[in-house]
Amino acid sequence: MTNTRLRTILAVLLATAMIAAVSSLIGCTTDGDGDGEKTTETIKVGVHTSLTGGLADYGFAAQEGIKLAGDDLTGFEAGDKKYEIELVIKDDKGEPAESPIVAQQLIDEGVVAVIGALTSGNTNSAQPIYAEAGIPMISGSATRADLVPRENFFRTCVGDNIQGKALADWCVELGFEKVAIMDDRGDYAVGLADVVEGHLTDAGVEVLREAGQEGDTDFSAQVAKIQAFAPDAVMFTGYHREAGLLYKQCREAGMADVQFMGGDGIKSDEIADEAGGAANVEGVLATIGGIPQDSMAGWEDFKTAYMEATDKEPGPYAETNHDALVAIVEAIKKGESADPADILKNLSDVEVNGVIGTFGFDANGEFEAMGGSAGLATIVRYKIENGAWVSAD
Amino acid sequence: MQEKTGVWATARRFFGRVPRWAYALAALALAISVPLLEQADLIQTVWLRLGIRSLVYVLLAMGLNVVMGETGLLNLGYIAFFAVGSYTTAIFSSPRLGYHVDFWILLLASTGLAMLAGLLIGLPTLRLRGDYLAIVTLGFGEITRITFNNWESVTNGPGGIPQIYRPMILGLKIDKPGEFYYLVLIFVVLVAIMLTNLKSSRVGRAWNALREDEIAAEHSGIHGTSLKLLSMVISAGIAGLAGCLFAYYQQFINPTYFEFLQSVLVVCMVVLGGMGSIPGAIAGAALLDALPEFIRQAFSRWLPDLLGEQTMDSLPVAVQNFFIEFDRYRMLIVGLVIVVMVIFRPEGILPDSLWRREVREEDPREVEKTRQKLFDFDEGHQDLEA
Repeated sequence: MTNTRLRTILAVLLATAMIAAVSSLIGCTTDGDGDGEKTTETIKVGVHTSLTGGLADYGFAAQEGIKLAGDDLTGFEAGDKKYEIELVIKDDKGEPAESPIVAQQLIDEGVVAVIGALTSGNTNSAQPIYAEAGIPMISGSATRADLVPRENFFRTCVGDNIQGKALADWCVELGFEKVAIMDDRGDYAVGLADVVEGHLTDAGVEVLREAGQEGDTDFSAQVAKIQAFAPDAVMFTGYHREAGLLYKQCREAGMADVQFMGGDGIKSDEIADEAGGAANVEGVLATIGGIPQDSMAGWEDFKTAYMEATDKEPGPYAETNHDALVAIVEAIKKGESADPADILKNLSDVEVNGVIGTFGFDANGEFEAMGGSAGLATIVRYKIENGAWVSAD
Repeated sequence: MQEKTGVWATARRFFGRVPRWAYALAALALAISVPLLEQADLIQTVWLRLGIRSLVYVLLAMGLNVVMGETGLLNLGYIAFFAVGSYTTAIFSSPRLGYHVDFWILLLASTGLAMLAGLLIGLPTLRLRGDYLAIVTLGFGEITRITFNNWESVTNGPGGIPQIYRPMILGLKIDKPGEFYYLVLIFVVLVAIMLTNLKSSRVGRAWNALREDEIAAEHSGIHGTSLKLLSMVISAGIAGLAGCLFAYYQQFINPTYFEFLQSVLVVCMVVLGGMGSIPGAIAGAALLDALPEFIRQAFSRWLPDLLGEQTMDSLPVAVQNFFIEFDRYRMLIVGLVIVVMVIFRPEGILPDSLWRREVREEDPREVEKTRQKLFDFDEGHQDLEA
């Protein structure tokens, strides 16, 4: 008797719990704005970045840069409307498998455009989902060459394809006939090395490709092969730690006249120590993708604001992420519409005045300096002279 | 024996009487309902995408459960088989090398190649036991990942393979999340049925015997090596199948998907769910994969919605920011859940009865239960003889 009654009670309780669980799942899907002032509209902009995991410092810098832009620009006017910007910041842990989930979440939230993803891998796995939903994405840091062209992807950083070509051109200018290119098997370094190799081969330069592993300390096997190849230049497309060690071991093996080169990963003041002394890196050449920070139109103001907000120096790619939001706002102003399709259409011919300078996007969605910045090179050459990096132009 | 009273004991009895297939059906009904709820706009699409990934992990956990849970072989490189399946599909169904092979052929090829990899790694290593096997499989997992990372002419190295084609099945192009969801769900159900049957078969019981005591099992006429090899191959095949479906769904594959930590994650799912238990593997995978997202949604949406805008605004700014930025702390909670689970429920969420007794052998209540069972059994026999 009591047993049956208890069972009934339990069944009812269980049913209630299930209903409660389902209804809490449903949550609230619509925003009740637009009732106040007739002309004010809140738009959501997604920030698809990595706040945990190995690249958390990059993600933090991106987030802070975008927040600064959001604070500046919110309440902007386009046509007969006033727009409030609401940033929706989501973390993808730096894992490509998490990236589609974050993408869908931002789409569900009703964002009109997305800034991200942080890395090329995460951009690759999220892009089809944004494309399907017709949402434009602008990354401030995904540089891989094969990301462009995609129908909904733009970037405010300079792609590896452009930097790689610049490195190759530099080799040709210097009259090199044999170049050894080495990468660290990482996404960035391999992508850049591939582009350089392609352009050099097209220009008739003989290329030897070698690879180390990030974190390696001994490159004697690769150095032996490079020495046998007898190149005019040794290029390392990874980061300064391995670059320094490689250059040191090349010198020790007796390659006295060879020219050392690299991409923006090696342009660090620490490279001299890592190479075992300034003598080993004297004359090293490096390119940097993007306008140099000192020549950026709004750099000083941005730096001050960033330091005020975070008590830190601006982190990597903070300014390019900042300008991604500026570009989105510019596209909304241009089309007088915050519809994702209109933003996507108008991004192709906006002229943005950002921290970086004046820029737009070319037909592939690639960063393109314009207006007052048009004269500035987007690839800057550097050289180590008397133990310090100086401009090599 | 006197029946215990009280809500907890009654609830236990109540749920104990519901047959197991009813639970399975309820779980299946819940799984089937997700895309329907999404269609009806009752839940957001993100749950559907999360569901697909969780189902892929369910496949992986069920597969690893065969070798680790049933047979007791600790495999720390399991994700390598998943990688073999994924890359097989990605290479032969993407613009990368210009192949566009049919879905069914790739499904078979991915499963088959993963099984072959399982056979190749199993043959020389299955004479090793315990920690040694764990180390060797760990090495195998890393070798596989590094091979895919460095074999640039085929796999595009660390850049990965983007723009994998959508599968065509019986003239139907699968490209909506809902369609993928059901596709993966069908395979989850098929694999679950296959493994449930296998578990109660001679083979399954032989695996359990090998796990409990290898020497005793071999004395009873079980051929240890070939059965262990079979378990390795079947488990690898399931991972290959999961890899194929995952590559099709994700449309992009690079080596970072297959890092060592992913293998550890699947091991956690099996242990958390309950070693040797198929419902456990399913529950463990679903819980571990979906929990971070639930936590994120709870803090960024449900809690603020529940409290209302006014209450939220009246909270201190630090608390508001904590809610907004809770994203960053969600993995912390997941870690805490694992720690708490292992301390208070070491046998897992839905444990296999054999495994629970094994884990709880120090627990006087469990000892009593086992004794009671054996005692009842003896008494029953005496009755028969009398």
